[in-house]
Amino acid sequence: MDLEILLQILASGLLMGLIFALIAVGLTLIWGVMDILNFAHGEFLMLAMFISFWMFSLWKIDPLWSIPFTVAALFATGVLTYKVVIKKVLNAPGLTALLATFGLSILIKNLAQFFWTPDFRHIQGAILSDHILSFWGLNLSLAEVVAAGGSGLITYGIYYLIFKTKTGRAIRATALDRDTALLMGINIDRVFALTFGLGGACVGVAGALLMNFYYVFPSVGSLFGILAFVTVALGGFGNITGAFLAGVLIGVVETAGGVFIAPVFKYTVVFALYLVVILIRPKGLFGW
Amino acid sequence: MKFQRRREKIVKKSGIFVLGIVLIFGAALAEAQEVIKIGSIYPLTGAIASSGMRSKHAIETALDVINNKYDMDIPFAKTEGIPNMKGAKLQIIWGDSQASPEVGKTEAERLITQEKVPLLLGAYQSGVSKSTSFVAERYKIPYVCAESSSAELTERGLKYFFRIAPTDAEDSIAFFDFLDEVKKKGKKVEKVALVYENTEFGVHARGEAKKQADQRGYKIVADISYPFKSTDVKSEVLKIKAAKPDVVFHASLLGDMMLFAKAYKELKVDFNVNLSYCGGYHDPSFVQNLKKDAEYFMGQCTFSPDFITKKPALGKINEMYKKRSGVDFDGVTIEGFTSVLVIADAFNRAKSMDPEALVQALRTTDFPTPTLPGDRVKFNEKGQNIMIISNISQVQGGEYRVIWPAQMAAKEMVWPFVPWDKRK
Repeated sequence: MDLEILLQILASGLLMGLIFALIAVGLTLIWGVMDILNFAHGEFLMLAMFISFWMFSLWKIDPLWSIPFTVAALFATGVLTYKVVIKKVLNAPGLTALLATFGLSILIKNLAQFFWTPDFRHIQGAILSDHILSFWGLNLSLAEVVAAGGSGLITYGIYYLIFKTKTGRAIRATALDRDTALLMGINIDRVFALTFGLGGACVGVAGALLMNFYYVFPSVGSLFGILAFVTVALGGFGNITGAFLAGVLIGVVETAGGVFIAPVFKYTVVFALYLVVILIRPKGLFGW
Repeated sequence: MKFQRRREKIVKKSGIFVLGIVLIFGAALAEAQEVIKIGSIYPLTGAIASSGMRSKHAIETALDVINNKYDMDIPFAKTEGIPNMKGAKLQIIWGDSQASPEVGKTEAERLITQEKVPLLLGAYQSGVSKSTSFVAERYKIPYVCAESSSAELTERGLKYFFRIAPTDAEDSIAFFDFLDEVKKKGKKVEKVALVYENTEFGVHARGEAKKQADQRGYKIVADISYPFKSTDVKSEVLKIKAAKPDVVFHASLLGDMMLFAKAYKELKVDFNVNLSYCGGYHDPSFVQNLKKDAEYFMGQCTFSPDFITKKPALGKINEMYKKRSGVDFDGVTIEGFTSVLVIADAFNRAKSMDPEALVQALRTTDFPTPTLPGDRVKFNEKGQNIMIISNISQVQGGEYRVIWPAQMAAKEMVWPFVPWDKRK
């Protein structure tokens, strides 16, 4: 096999992995702070993609410029989800919260199909589309490079927010011990709402960036959703750095596995890797 | 006095109310006697819901044509309902397979046992047609398969199964006849890559293509099976790139097919021909979404707007369909439309809703219809429509143009698949 193709595998895998990472970071944040697996995360992504799509096709607003809007909309969706659904089941036993988000995902998916039909939609003629960067025999689509870069940037932003700011300290304190955080005067209700909002904002960015090179339809969330769950579990539940690195790892393993073993087994390789890691380190690569 | 008047009013009012109820239910009852229910299973939600919904629009257009009076040269258009059954109207009870053979199977059970339909129609994907038709066979209910192309479906020895669409076996013969012809003109088509989803449809299409390729001395340089509903197909495309084929065969549904087309462009993979089995290529969304990047892809074709110039009746139904779906008919949806006509014909000749009588009628079908190439539907003992002819179309200027065989061609083929670097 040519060196060029090897390099291409690494590069393509890395780019896709960075996108997985951004989707997974939002999910892992919510899990880390609230111990809730948001099953509607993939549907949030779909909403962001649709918002971006409609802004482009109705008002010619490029997906790049629609990022602030998708972020705001998905932040609001996150907060609203918390206030309307999650808050009521936060202290309910067992799987209640998980099932609530599962129900929400079905609701969102079907509403999307009802209002927007199940058609596949794709954007042509955006600023980033149709540009291919060619160097060292590599071909990379500019849209994917920008998406990967943006993804890295946002993940760092979230990391910074959580670990370097006062708000982040409050979030971490709440994650560690809700009751003590409450005693210390932290408004945990607001922290939860903020966390859900941030989780939504992450897919808000991811959705707009994806729209430059991916198609959207009401069930698109489930394609990415499952990989996001694996990413979160692989990286260690609730660990942002873990989710980031696991996302990149999954992207590279998927592409390389597809080429070197067989494309039909590319997800098998990813899930096998996940199983091996879970067997050796049940808490995931970076879990604590 | 006042009180009594009020009571009178109430009595009068409730009288009207009861009368209304009787009228409504009476009407429903009267109508119920004239309705023929057909169970129909399609992927109405999930990963390929857009294709399923198009088929639904096509089937509903056919119902409209059959149940109402229209002045056009399409069978059953000029009458209302089924003539030999006192104008009974057809009604579809929908089942949603969610693109899954297992869910489809449950839906088939529901339609047969709860809704008591005497006939099933479905199911887009070959895998779903396979599982749902087994259920129909078990209950001895006729099953009309509109568009699934896996040749294996009609090789199972089922007695209640009938298929309108050409099979991948027939398409493979057409494809390689076409390649042989092109080869004779000195064009390079020796090295073949087979790309297919790992489903009933994909695996069997690949089998048929391989059989033909081996028989006729073509060299298979890449044999690539990939998971249906992929998030990314770069690894597949890189393998194709490394194999440097002249011809790429696709058995892919819409989402995956769009990813492939984009990845070919991005990774600058060029070849001479890209030929698709019945699938994502045919969905008009493919061209709508990819626009100029969809140019020069080719595929099997049982409908193209080019046919309308040859058969004006198709123009009218195409308009009706377009009002519902927003797009022109394509091969898959015209097969759905025709299936309903064939079903109507079976009811018309059986003059009953008894499944056995229907199967008998379907077996002896010899139904002239302008809606399909071949202009006739007739089943062999395996239930396969033997009258249908496969053409090949190519996307040119954003439209599906028929390019082969010569007698059907509306346009010259563009050769080769124009390299990505040389496109504007």
